[in-house]
Amino acid sequence: MKMKKFIAVLSVVSMMAVAAAGCGSSSDTSSAGDAAASDDSASSSEWDAASAITVVSREEGSGTRGAFTELFGVVDDDDNDITTLDAQVTNNTSVMMTTVSENEYAIGYISLGSLDESLVKAVSIDGAEATAENIENGSYTVSRPFNVAVKNDLDNPVATDFMAFIMSTEGQAVVSEEGYIPVSEVEAYAGEAPEGSCVVGGSSSISPLMEKLIEAYAEVNPNASIELQTTDSTTGMTSAIEGSYDIGMASRELNDEEAAELTGTVIATDGIAVIVNQNNPTDDLTVDQVKSIYIGDVTTWDAI
Amino acid sequence: MKSKAWTEKFMQGVFFVAACASVLAVALICIFLFANGIPAMREIGFIKFITGEIWRPGSDQFGILPMIVGSLYVTAGAVIFGVPIGILTSVFMAMYCPKQIYKPLKAATELLAGIPSVIYGFFGLVVVVPIIRQFGTALYKAGIVDNPGNGNSILTASLILGMMILPTIIGTTESAMRAVPSHYYEGSLALGATKERSIFRVIIPAAKSGVIAGIVLGIGRAIGETMAVIMIVGNQARLTSSILQGIRTLTGNIVIEMGYATGLHREALIATGVVLFVFILIINFSVALLKRGADHE
Amino acid sequence: MSNKTTIGDKLRTYLKHPGSFIVMLLVMLAAIITFAVLIFLIAYILINGLPHITPSLFSLEYTSENASVVPALVNTIIMTLLSLLIAVPFGIFSAIFLVEYAKRGNRFVEVIRLTTETLSGIPSIVYGLFGMLFFVNALDWGFSLLAGAFTMAIMILPLIMRTTEEALKAVPDSYREGSFGLGAGKLRTVFRIVLPSAIPGVLAGVILAIGRIVGETAALMYTSGTVAQIPDSIMGSGRTLALHMYNLSSEGLYMDQAYATAVILLVLVVGINALSSVIARKLTKA
Repeated sequence: MKMKKFIAVLSVVSMMAVAAAGCGSSSDTSSAGDAAASDDSASSSEWDAASAITVVSREEGSGTRGAFTELFGVVDDDDNDITTLDAQVTNNTSVMMTTVSENEYAIGYISLGSLDESLVKAVSIDGAEATAENIENGSYTVSRPFNVAVKNDLDNPVATDFMAFIMSTEGQAVVSEEGYIPVSEVEAYAGEAPEGSCVVGGSSSISPLMEKLIEAYAEVNPNASIELQTTDSTTGMTSAIEGSYDIGMASRELNDEEAAELTGTVIATDGIAVIVNQNNPTDDLTVDQVKSIYIGDVTTWDAI
Repeated sequence: MKSKAWTEKFMQGVFFVAACASVLAVALICIFLFANGIPAMREIGFIKFITGEIWRPGSDQFGILPMIVGSLYVTAGAVIFGVPIGILTSVFMAMYCPKQIYKPLKAATELLAGIPSVIYGFFGLVVVVPIIRQFGTALYKAGIVDNPGNGNSILTASLILGMMILPTIIGTTESAMRAVPSHYYEGSLALGATKERSIFRVIIPAAKSGVIAGIVLGIGRAIGETMAVIMIVGNQARLTSSILQGIRTLTGNIVIEMGYATGLHREALIATGVVLFVFILIINFSVALLKRGADHE
Repeated sequence: MSNKTTIGDKLRTYLKHPGSFIVMLLVMLAAIITFAVLIFLIAYILINGLPHITPSLFSLEYTSENASVVPALVNTIIMTLLSLLIAVPFGIFSAIFLVEYAKRGNRFVEVIRLTTETLSGIPSIVYGLFGMLFFVNALDWGFSLLAGAFTMAIMILPLIMRTTEEALKAVPDSYREGSFGLGAGKLRTVFRIVLPSAIPGVLAGVILAIGRIVGETAALMYTSGTVAQIPDSIMGSGRTLALHMYNLSSEGLYMDQAYATAVILLVLVVGINALSSVIARKLTKA
C-alpha cells in the first residue's frame, strides 16, 4: 500500500511541476520553431545555416560577462544586462570551449589568453582579428583591464616589491608572453628582494597570469613566498579591504566602495574573443550582429 | 570506588555531549542559513522570490521559480531513468548474478558511487550532450518537436543524474531484498510461481520499505547534485516546456553566481540555498513519517 | 537449484509464462545497461587520462608548468585525517550513547535520530554555504584546511554514527551480561568488550567517510580554498585532489592534466574500496 501511496505522491509532485512549467511557457521564446528548416535535404553533419544559434554566455556578475555585455551594448538604457534568457550559461571557460567545439551552431566568448584555436575559431569583430597587436593599436576594441588592488596603507614589503615587479619590464614581459596585452612605459625591476610572505587572491580570469608572474618573481626574489588564492573578483576586492589578501585581483573596474579603500593598478589588458565552431563558415561579425544574437533578435545563422 | 563512580558519570556526560553534536550541527546550519537568507527574502518579498519567473540580478529581479521547477524536472527525470534500472539491476545482483562474477560487479557498483561528480559532468558534456543534440535534431526534422534544442537539456541532465543515483538505489534495494527471509521465496516457488513472479510479487513487496528508502536517498542525491549538472543542463534561468531545452537548478544557481555576487545578489543566492535546504527537510520528514507509518502497520 | 534444472526445463517454463520471460529479459537488460555505463565511463577516463600521466605530474612543487598533483594529494591526506580526527570520536561516542546509555523510547534519542538523518540528506553545496558563513566568516578562520575539515566532519558524522550504531547493536547482549557478571563496570564493558567487537563496522563507516571526503568538491570550494600548494599550517588554504581537478578543468588550459588527475583520483577510490574489503575480510575471520 505504502508503495502505491508513495508513487501517487511522486506523480502529483511531477504533475505540479509540469503544470507550473505550463503556466510559464508563455515566457518561453521558442522562436526557433518558426524559422522553419527549409533545407530538409542537408544531412546533420553539413553546415545548415537555417539552424538555431546556440548562444552561450558566462554567469551573471562575472567580469568576462560584464565586460562583454558592456562592450557589445547588450544592455538596456539603464545599463542592465539584457542577454537573452535562452542563452546557455556556464561559469567555466572549458565548458564554454567544449560546448562551442562540439556544437556546430554555437557562439560564445572567452578571454583571449584562454583561447585554444585548435578547438574553436575566433571571429573578427568589425573586420579586426582578435590578436594582441590589434588590441594594442586599438582596432580590436573588445578588451577589459586586469586590475590588482592593494590597501591604501599597504605596509607589507613583499607585496610592495611584488607590485613593483609586476609593473616592471620583466613582469610585463611575462604578461605579453602569456598572450595578454602589457602596460606600456615600464622600467626595469630594481627591487630590494625583501624577505617575507604575502597573499594574492581574486579573479579566476587573472590567476593563470598571476601564477606565471609569481613564478617569475620567485626567480628574482627567492626569499619571498607568495600564496595565490583563486576565487573571484568580488572576493578578491573584499578580502583585500578586510586584509586577508595583501593584493586583490579583479577582472573588472573597481566599484566606488572598493575604490575608496583600495588603490587599483591595471597590470594588463585582456581581449575577449568571440568564438564559434570551426565548421561555421562565419569569419567576421560586426558589433551589432553580435549584439542582436545575444539579445535574442537573431536566432538563426542565415538571419544575420 | 568513589573515583570510579565519578569516571562513570563523567564519561556518560561525555557520551551525551557527543550525541548532542549532531543536534548542535543541524541547529547551527539552520541558524546560519536562515539568518543570512531570510533578510534577502524579506527584502525581495517572499512570494515574489518563490514565484517570480525572472532572474536578473543585474536589474534587481530575483525570481527563483524557474530554478525550483528546474530542480524538480531533473530530479523527476533522474527518478524515471534511475529507479527502474536501479531496481532491476539490484534484482539481478540479488537473484540472478552468478557467484563468480558477483564480487567484481558489486565492487563496480561501489566504484560508480566513488567517481567524483566533475567526471560525470565532463562525460556528459563530451559524450551525452552531442547524442541528445542529434536526437533532438532528428525529432525536429521528423516534425515531432518544434525546437531541436542544443543537447544541453533537461533530458541530458536526467540521464546523467539517473546514472549517478544508480549506486545508491542498487545498494539499499539489494540489501533490503537480501534481508527478506528465504522461505518467502521458496514458498512462492513451491506454490508453482515462476522465479520472476516470486521476485516481483513476493520479495519486492516484502522489501518495499528498503526500496522506498533507496529511492528517496536517490532523490536527495539528485536534487542536491551540483558540479555535474551545471556542465550539462544549460543553466538558462527561465521556464521551459520542452525536455530538450535547458533549465537551471537551485544548486546550479548557487554555484554559478556565488563567485561574483555581492550585496543583495549574494544574499539571494544564500536564500536559494535555504529553499534547497527546506526541500531536503521536507523530503527527510516525509521519509521519517513513512517509516513511522511502516512501523505501526 | 540452478544445477538441477536444465536449460531446456527453463525454456519450457518461460514458454508457458511469456510474461516472466519478458521480466527476466528486462532484468538482464538493466544489469547490462548499468555495467555498460560503468565500463564506458571508466574507459573514457582512462583513454583521456592515461597518456598524460607523466613524471612531472608528480613533482614535489606545483608550478603552472607541471600542474603537479602532489600538493593536492598531500592536502587530501591532511584533510582526510583532520576530518576523521574530529568526526570519529564524536561519531563513536554518540553511537555509544544511543545504544548503551539512552533509554528506549527516549524523546531526545528520537531528536538525535531525526537530526542525524537530516544531516545525511543535506546536499554538499549547502554544507559549503554553511561552512563559508560559519567557519570562514563568523569564526574568522578564513579559507583554511581547518574550516574545510570541520565542514567535512559534520558531513561525515551521520555516516560514522549510523555504521557504529549498527555495529554496536549487532554485539550480542550476552557479551555485556557476561562482562557485568564478572564485576566490570559499564564503562569498562563498553570499551573493553563491546567496542572491540564492533570495530569492523566502525572501520567500514570510516572508509565510506574517506571515500566521501576524497570525492568532495562543492563543500570544500567555499571552505578550504583553492591554493595549489601545501599550506604551512592547518590555518592555511589548500585544495584537495577533487578540487584540484575541478580547478584544472575550469580555466580550460589544463584539460589533459585534469583527466590525468581524474585517473589518479579513480585509482585512489579503487584503492580505498579494495582496502575496505581486505580489512573487512581480515576482521571477520579473526
